[in-house]
Amino acid sequence: MDAQLEIQLIATVVAIACAIPGVFLVLRKMALISDAISHSILPGIVIGFFITEDLNSPLLILLAAVTGVITVVLVEAIQKTGLVKEDTAIGLVFPALFSIGVILIAKNANDVHLDVDAVLLGELAFAPFDRLIISGIDVGPKSLWVMGGILLATVGMLFAFFKELKVSTFDAGLSAALGFSPVVLHYGLMTVSSVTVVGAFEAVGAVLVVALMIAPAATAYLLTSDLKKMLVLSVIFGVTSAIAGYWMAHFLDASISGSMTTVLGLVFLTVYLFAPSKGLIAVMYRQKQQRTEVSLLTFLLHLNNHDEESERRVQHLNEHINWQKVRSKTVLDLAQKNNLIAIENDLVTLTSKGKEFTDLALEYIITNKDEKIEHMKDDFFLFRG
Amino acid sequence: MSKEKIAIRVDDLTVAYNYKPVLWDIDLEVPEGVLMAIVGPNGAGKSTLIKSILGIIDPIAGSVAIYGKPYEKQRKLVAYVPQKGSVDWDFPTTALDVVMMGTYGMLGWIKRPGTKEKKASLEALEKVGMLPFKNRQISQLSGGQQQRVFLARALVQDASIYFMDEPFQGVDATTEIAIINILKELRKAGKTVVVVHHDLQTVPEYFDWVTFLNVKKIATGPVRDIFNDDNLTKTYGINYKVAVNK
Repeated sequence: MDAQLEIQLIATVVAIACAIPGVFLVLRKMALISDAISHSILPGIVIGFFITEDLNSPLLILLAAVTGVITVVLVEAIQKTGLVKEDTAIGLVFPALFSIGVILIAKNANDVHLDVDAVLLGELAFAPFDRLIISGIDVGPKSLWVMGGILLATVGMLFAFFKELKVSTFDAGLSAALGFSPVVLHYGLMTVSSVTVVGAFEAVGAVLVVALMIAPAATAYLLTSDLKKMLVLSVIFGVTSAIAGYWMAHFLDASISGSMTTVLGLVFLTVYLFAPSKGLIAVMYRQKQQRTEVSLLTFLLHLNNHDEESERRVQHLNEHINWQKVRSKTVLDLAQKNNLIAIENDLVTLTSKGKEFTDLALEYIITNKDEKIEHMKDDFFLFRG
Repeated sequence: MSKEKIAIRVDDLTVAYNYKPVLWDIDLEVPEGVLMAIVGPNGAGKSTLIKSILGIIDPIAGSVAIYGKPYEKQRKLVAYVPQKGSVDWDFPTTALDVVMMGTYGMLGWIKRPGTKEKKASLEALEKVGMLPFKNRQISQLSGGQQQRVFLARALVQDASIYFMDEPFQGVDATTEIAIINILKELRKAGKTVVVVHHDLQTVPEYFDWVTFLNVKKIATGPVRDIFNDDNLTKTYGINYKVAVNK
């Protein structure tokens, strides 16, 4: 296997392994915790490295994961005192742990292959140099095996505990009442996240591993209302961004992890703007339509309330309801298109459909009874809540 | 009366948050087959009482028994409807999927829900009039519809005891009537239903049993015997007058 392919393979495995716990972190509003973990595992990594002298040693991963879980415990302990809020607690804990790691490196590791830059930014391009050799046979890059193992464990746990993770994320109270301890599941997820971050940090660095966890999930969240689809989409976004990022770095001769994160950001931005229902443009369009429809309703109500001819002349409407010409025209067109009004000799009359529509809409607004306007939801944004 | 089975027994239950007691030495017996309201002012510990019965909150003292055994051994007999506001309704899931969560308890760890669970969930949705909305994303439901979905999730558990935390909060009048009718049906079927309730006016109409709570237990018993101005005043601290239909 050539180095290029190996790097892309590692990137793919890292992206998948990060995307899966990322989905649950995003849904639990714990994105910041992944940032904290990614920094505070540093002392675990450093101590592990002193003992094993190998960045891919299982002991190192274990130690770092323990530090990750300690971070979560400390954050929760500080938060529980009620003296500071969660974000403050996070801001207190991870720099403290991280700085211990920085000092440890500076004091002891000046002459070994471990520096703060490598930890923070990682270097995927070097990953293929560190080979796993079993009884003299080169079986591939070590980090591919490590991340592959972590990924396999993550996927296995996802399949085994999917329903437990779902219910405890959605409704911790019910989860506890049903006997699926939210505490156990919470720390399970935190352990998996910590292990993943440790495994991935060498490839993409402690800072950018956060992007691989959070960005794909946040992007997928905008596109679907189904947890399984959200997981699948996150994985797809993570992998495509990782590969695209690799090639971007290749052509720009830039940092691989930096390019990957840039692509992740661009993908999120694109989806944020253009997502069909939650995207910015869709939301703006919907708000504009809703405004028009409120105007339509006001207009129909006016017709409903006034039988006299003077109140129903097209020109009169412009002045009377106090709208600009364009808006009046939009509203008139919309009403006509839906056969809600009839115009004859410049006189506007409510059709029977228009009358029925107005009554239903009024009743809906007063009583908030959804059942009756169900069939109108397809045609009118106003009723889609 | 004395022959009645006790569905829920609470002994000397004390719960504290940060060393401040929110429930103080509660003794409570709920007979089987009643529809009971827990009433009391804000901060009286109504939700806390339910949550500690269900083991969601650890008490600092006291014990709870469901049909004579600890809750952990009787989970399958109990269904729980948390406050609607306690979950994130933007969670990516559908009405049907939320109801299916009610079947998770019977399944236990790891096992996945199958066709049997799906069928039961659809029936529960039907019962609360939400079948047409089964595939709707939950954020697209109105407040009343969300509460019905929660009720369906409890129904699918097919329990003996139902705990509901403010099921009428933020729902329209139609939904309120639909919910209370289902609760009355449950009672008719011999189930025990415990509801944290806010609207004192409707207590005599909806419930046959009531517990007055304000950190301590003030009174518990049949609505017709103890739902009076005296207990209301003791509970709410001010001179309380409600029209009680005797």
